[in-house]
Amino acid sequence: MLKRVLLANRGEIALRVQRTCRELGIETVAVYSDADRNALHVRNADAAVHIGPGPATESYLVIEKIIDAAKQTGADAIHPGYGFLSENAAFADACEEAGIIFIGPPASAMQALGDKISARKLMEEAGVPVVPGANDIDADDVATATKEAERIGLPLLVKAAAGGGGRGIRLVESMDELETAMRASGREAETSFGNATIFLEKYVEPARHIEVQLIADNHGNVRTYGERECSVQRRHQKLLEEAPSVAVTPEIRAQLCEAAANVAKSAGYRNAGTVEFLMDASGTFYFLEMNARLQVEHPVTELVYGVDLVAQQLAVAAGEAFEDGDESPQPVGWSIECRINGENPFHNFAPSLGVVEHVEAPLGPGTRFDSMLFDGLDVPIFYDSMLGKLIVWAETRDDAVKRMRRALNDLVIAGIQTNIPFHLALLDHPDFISGEISTSWLESHFKMPEMPADDPRQRDALVVAALAAEMARANGHDAVASAPISGWQRSSRATAVHLRTRDGGLRGWHRGIASS
Amino acid sequence: MASRHRFLLDGEEHNVVVAESDGRITVAIDDDDPLEVDATTSGLPGLFSLLIDGQPSTSYVSRRGAGFEVTTAGRRFEVEAASSSKGSRGPVGGLEDPLGKITAPLGGTVIEVHVAVGDTIEVGQALLVIEAMKMQNEVQAPHAGTITSVLFNQGERVDQKGDLMIEYDPAEDES
Repeated sequence: MLKRVLLANRGEIALRVQRTCRELGIETVAVYSDADRNALHVRNADAAVHIGPGPATESYLVIEKIIDAAKQTGADAIHPGYGFLSENAAFADACEEAGIIFIGPPASAMQALGDKISARKLMEEAGVPVVPGANDIDADDVATATKEAERIGLPLLVKAAAGGGGRGIRLVESMDELETAMRASGREAETSFGNATIFLEKYVEPARHIEVQLIADNHGNVRTYGERECSVQRRHQKLLEEAPSVAVTPEIRAQLCEAAANVAKSAGYRNAGTVEFLMDASGTFYFLEMNARLQVEHPVTELVYGVDLVAQQLAVAAGEAFEDGDESPQPVGWSIECRINGENPFHNFAPSLGVVEHVEAPLGPGTRFDSMLFDGLDVPIFYDSMLGKLIVWAETRDDAVKRMRRALNDLVIAGIQTNIPFHLALLDHPDFISGEISTSWLESHFKMPEMPADDPRQRDALVVAALAAEMARANGHDAVASAPISGWQRSSRATAVHLRTRDGGLRGWHRGIASS
Repeated sequence: MASRHRFLLDGEEHNVVVAESDGRITVAIDDDDPLEVDATTSGLPGLFSLLIDGQPSTSYVSRRGAGFEVTTAGRRFEVEAASSSKGSRGPVGGLEDPLGKITAPLGGTVIEVHVAVGDTIEVGQALLVIEAMKMQNEVQAPHAGTITSVLFNQGERVDQKGDLMIEYDPAEDES
């Protein structure tokens, strides 16, 4: 059993892990940048260590600072969350050298899965289906590439062996485009990753993004928790996830889970991980990659399998072995997650930052809101735009969609614009309702509806504005909060926050940033 | 008493008249029938619970310059003060009138007259009150100036919106 866990992360995921730790009687250590001094994960921890300025490269991504914080506070393990250092093999090694348990896979497994060509080879050996393709081609070797391309068939993708985040990827639809694509991909890979090796892959389209959750203990046991459907994406960013998938039958699920378990075993994987697959309309699936971390969308799996994945991660990290039982349980009911982002769906999803003046979280049956929000939060500019995740569970997919609509309408976030209207429009789209979606569906078929011109809520807005103006006049001062000026816009947000709490004293603290 | 607010919402101007009598508040938007409004605020500044003709709604309001931002039922609205977008005119009363003239915002009965010929007036000053549909509507000065004529006495009836009520010499320094 672990005693004290340091969370090398921030935002909702740090809170998520803290909650389970607290339930299990494990103390938590938060780390925070200047920008996160006032964040909930700091307030909620048993100990907190400052690790530097706002930019992640000077705080959350600095391995030495995290390790020092763990040593200083006597943490016996580090949970990396997702993003930041979660899939950094050097960080996993540094933890081991410092005698601290890294709650995740060993560095060797990360390395084996991190390089795309080595991962493909590993999967081919383990009998896991990979997208038909050709490995290890020199970016100048057009003759070999042409021969391989004819074997694989068009359209295909040229990819960089060391690529990531969509870089070094080119689509080839006719043979005369191949050479140009190879040059471009090789050049991009050389500049970005210092390695011009490329590989070819059949372009599977339309395809669903289906991923399998698994967890492996340190004793060779692997448990799989079925699939998640993550095809609703914009620019490779997932926006809504569900479990299970409308396209996965119990037979396909069994095959997916078996393949995922083989991936984990062949890579010497440990702890929680996700194996991503592309699946075509016929139900044929191919290994895409393995994410060596707990994922953003893990709650949908937790709700349909009745499992706390973080608790399992902690148990596995402490060396516990899985008890005998079903290695591949079946899902119960349906779960959907909507990522709530600070962005404006009516203006091309431009980021919307600033002070969150008021939040009301949705409650009620089957409703979960994992979030970093609180009244007065000045959303830091340094990190991503995800404010929280709204997750629902219901008996059927139809019921889950209805519950999500209700919960989205119950969720109030005042002060900044969020993508709640996008999610509501998405849930009403006939293609989404029927489940006929693929990874390219959102960008090619979904159009955000215009703001309704004749909205009955306009009436309420006018009534409230008039009453607010009236009260201001009658009382000689505003009955409403003034628009808080984001401290970050003035200079450094952290400085502003400190000045406010100092000048405002207790009163300033209680009234929050909105009082300034 | 009643008072009038002009707002810009989603690109359109709206005239909102708030009236209170016997502790009951009514709000009339443009030419629509007045709504009976029961409003309470909580300890949190800006959080309003409303019953509009008996229909509940919750809104969060905060000030944005001369206007407001209202979050209600999942939508955010920017409610601007109409004057701030037009620039030159005062915030209350007779905004569509030509300079030097004040017309009736609605038909009704003149129940109070607060000014006489020769009085100097300031922006927002109450000039007279018209009662219509049991609501009292205060007519306020759109500009500073000096009253040159008052065409209605207390108790007289105003036939319709747009009837000339008061003439004045606008003050020089008021654009």
